[in-house]
Amino acid sequence: MELRQPSSAEEAVGLLGNGHVALAGGTEIVPLLRDGLLRADALIDIRRAVPRGIHGTTIGAGTTLAELEVDPGIPVVLREACRLAASPQLRAMGSIGGNLLQATRCWYWRLDFPCYLHGGDRCHAKDGRHDEHAIFGNDVCASAHPSDVAAALLALGTMLRTTARELPLAELYRLPTTDDPQTTTLADDELILELEVPIPEASVYLKAMDRQRWSFPIVGVAAARTAGEVRLGLAGVAPVPWTLTSVDDLDRATPLPGTAYKLPIARALVARALRAVATG
Amino acid sequence: MSAPARQLELGRIGEIVRRPDGIPKTTGEFAYASDLQAAGMLWGHTVRSPYAHARVLSVDIGEALRMPGVHAVLTHDDVPGEKLYGLEFPDQPVLAVDRVRYFGEAVALVAAEHPEQARRAAEKIVVEYEPLEQVRIHLAGVGDAFGGREDLSMQIHGALLALHASRPVKMVYNREESFIGHVHRHPARIWAEHRATREGKLVAVRMRILLDGGAYASSSTAVTSNAASFACGPYDVPNALIESTCVYTNNPPCGAMRGFGAVQTCFAAEAQMDKLAAELGIDPVELRLRNALAPGHVLPTGQRIEGSLPVADVIRRAAELEPPPAEELPRDPLRLPGGAGNTTRGEGIRRGVGFAVGFKNLCYSEGFDDYCAARVKLLEDGSAEVHCAAAEVGQGVAGVILQVARTELGIDDVRLAPHTTATVDSAGSASASRMTMMASGAVRDACRAALEERELRGGEVDIERIYRHPRTSPLDPQTGQITGERAHVAFAACAMRVVAEVDLELGLTRVVWIGAAQDVGKALNPQAVEGQIEGGTAQGLGLALMEEIQTRDGLITNASFTDYLIPTALDMPPVESVLIEDPEPDAAYGAKGVGEPPTVVSTAAILSALRDATGLELNRVPVRPDDVVGL
Ligand SMILES: Cc1cc2nc3c(=O)[nH]c(=O)nc-3n(C[C@H](O)[C@H](O)[C@H](O)COP(=O)(O)OP(=O)(O)OC[C@H]3O[C@@H](n4cnc5c(N)ncnc54)[C@H](O)[C@@H]3O)c2cc1C
Ligand code: SF4
Repeated sequence: MELRQPSSAEEAVGLLGNGHVALAGGTEIVPLLRDGLLRADALIDIRRAVPRGIHGTTIGAGTTLAELEVDPGIPVVLREACRLAASPQLRAMGSIGGNLLQATRCWYWRLDFPCYLHGGDRCHAKDGRHDEHAIFGNDVCASAHPSDVAAALLALGTMLRTTARELPLAELYRLPTTDDPQTTTLADDELILELEVPIPEASVYLKAMDRQRWSFPIVGVAAARTAGEVRLGLAGVAPVPWTLTSVDDLDRATPLPGTAYKLPIARALVARALRAVATG
Repeated sequence: MSAPARQLELGRIGEIVRRPDGIPKTTGEFAYASDLQAAGMLWGHTVRSPYAHARVLSVDIGEALRMPGVHAVLTHDDVPGEKLYGLEFPDQPVLAVDRVRYFGEAVALVAAEHPEQARRAAEKIVVEYEPLEQVRIHLAGVGDAFGGREDLSMQIHGALLALHASRPVKMVYNREESFIGHVHRHPARIWAEHRATREGKLVAVRMRILLDGGAYASSSTAVTSNAASFACGPYDVPNALIESTCVYTNNPPCGAMRGFGAVQTCFAAEAQMDKLAAELGIDPVELRLRNALAPGHVLPTGQRIEGSLPVADVIRRAAELEPPPAEELPRDPLRLPGGAGNTTRGEGIRRGVGFAVGFKNLCYSEGFDDYCAARVKLLEDGSAEVHCAAAEVGQGVAGVILQVARTELGIDDVRLAPHTTATVDSAGSASASRMTMMASGAVRDACRAALEERELRGGEVDIERIYRHPRTSPLDPQTGQITGERAHVAFAACAMRVVAEVDLELGLTRVVWIGAAQDVGKALNPQAVEGQIEGGTAQGLGLALMEEIQTRDGLITNASFTDYLIPTALDMPPVESVLIEDPEPDAAYGAKGVGEPPTVVSTAAILSALRDATGLELNRVPVRPDDVVGL
């Protein structure tokens, strides 16, 4: 396999597509290639093509989670989400752009069961064990998006700048359908360049995990208060990072038999997060 | 001026001796087996079945053989002599013959110059399968941890490749392959009925134990028997009816795993004791004391306890350990359920206190008697050399051997020769909590014989001695009763008091503190004993809270440490341990094996605390948030 190292975003965009895949920290993509879940004819190392670093409210997509977790200038919710993601080694390599684009952790998908997301015609999780799965948006695929960072950025009302457009983070994602398994709207030759992250009055990230540290979220709740309005972003509850417009949205959850327990957890965490940002 | 303290490294029996492998293991300089290199070495690779149950119609190795760097490609045709093996009886093919019975069963082997060449050649092997209906057992609970060192996995395969290629061959299982290629703890389903008088004296215990053995027997029959032998817990039970069954399935094979059948039954029996205590209105510790097993009592197998078994003392001493008072709020989230996830400032938290006691056998049992050899050389220059093939697997037996030799010979200058059976007879396996007991017996005897010999003849001495434990005989397979004087050599008990906190709204837990009292006979190296107690407790905590092999149609779906969670340092509470020294009459220095009892009891004790905190029955492990907040 070929490795290309373009030095500008334009050059990178020219190389991408047609089996040429972007590589940032590689923490996500290398295991996928190794396990045969992703095929690539060439890897395009974008680390010199994509901005890295934090300038006021602008964060380069190439900034590592390790750099973010110690930055005193970024909102608490984002710093905490970064600090709680993965492990120190992975955070030292993993970029925030790559984090937003990580693939599902659904075991069936990772074991290459021919499910909807692999272009098949059913969801193997729904007729098997699916305790880690979704309580929202799970009509077709029931996987749970694991990004803590995306939940935080949703709560903050983040805007993205890509090589092709500017968009609110929520529009980066789409729920997969039976005829299109894509979970993002990013084109093959489009790169995320920068994130514009507003500073809230108060924010918090609460992450329920199966152990005290180093695990994907069962449910993660991010809350940020801006101009008196609180916005909520959730991880681990839907095939894409999930926005709650109000607490009542929780009444519209569609839990599966194996994921019903996530709903009371989400409720309790949302209540706690709201209390925390009301005072903090 | 007082004499300088003897270097810690040179301690005698009963003193704390610093382990030589501690620092290299922490800094990453320790050479593990997977770091071995040899000149001209090849790399072995295993081709595994993608089916849980299938007929093997054909295996085509032609293309693989022509791949670069390949020196050997083997199938069952290349296995000389016996084609089956097994710890108790041979039922497992070295390489699949005409059928595979579990996902990941070994079908062919490759040896090549480079591991990647071996892997690529393996991909070129064409195996034609015809999938078969699987043997299925529904609803078996799955509870697991690390697989067994005691079992065979790659040993026969590596030897075959080396034989065929006439080169050294190295095989290393990656994490996923280790999940597939090593045995697991038996998932169990247990029904129990306990009867007692109003005063809390146990009258009868009935238990049915169903174990999932997976596709091949390995040590399943011994585990099944052990589950039955220790089903009642360390209590004097006049009437017991225990039915213990292990079934073949197309699940991953199960075998020896720390606690060996006693873990599963301790979990069930201790839950019953707590229920009984609540029903009778008797304090749970008091109820256990009223029934505590003691020397002179007869076990359900008919064996009379002759040696040491201070159960009441163990219970009392654990119960006396004072847990820390509930910590004030607000606290650092790391000291709240939910840990680093920062999920609570104190909302939803309830504290629970639990208690459990358990016991199990030490050394090989039921007629599988074995021995351990040691050889001692007393040299002209006043130093000594000890040969003993006891496997150092991290438990610290190498240190114990030296402590024994220094104690017996009265000198500091003792060397331990490389662990090998080339210069001394076998030491048997490092399992069944036996290695320290057996090796200290053998080394003690060899040292004493060497001193006598020198006394008699003078000069350099070189002497080997074999140490055997008291003979055991099998249990009657129908009645479970002893067929000789004893089926088990010795026993050890452990009791734990546990404080846990649960966030009742989120179902997240935190074990706050564990107090343990363990019956150790004699602590040869007290710090190492405490290490065993903490390590064994950590494994039991993993089983209680997170560790579970998940399968779909025989395929392990969480075969990685990303998906199969094990406890981190943050999940482990401080463990306060009391070592109870009641010497075992038949053992060297009275020392008992200490590795397994903490694993047997910690899961049960943690569950007891979680039940106290939640008021829920919690009859399955691991306890996940779903079990607490689910409907
Ligand atoms: C074991 C493990 C545990 C983890 N735990 C957590 C967790 O608890 N919480 C959590 O939030 N995350 C978790 N992660 C995810 C981790 O944070 C991501 O793997 C990491 O941030 C990805 O960044 P990367 O730079 O390594 O991405 P890469 O692996 O280099 O790329 C990932 C994907 O994004 C694409 N890509 C990368 N950058 C860009 C860009 N700028 N524009 C367009 N496309 C791009 C790549 O083409 C690829 O498809 C975990 C990952 C692992 C492996
Ligand atoms: S949850 Fe989604 S990824 Fe998992 S099996 Fe179902 S469709 Fe596939």
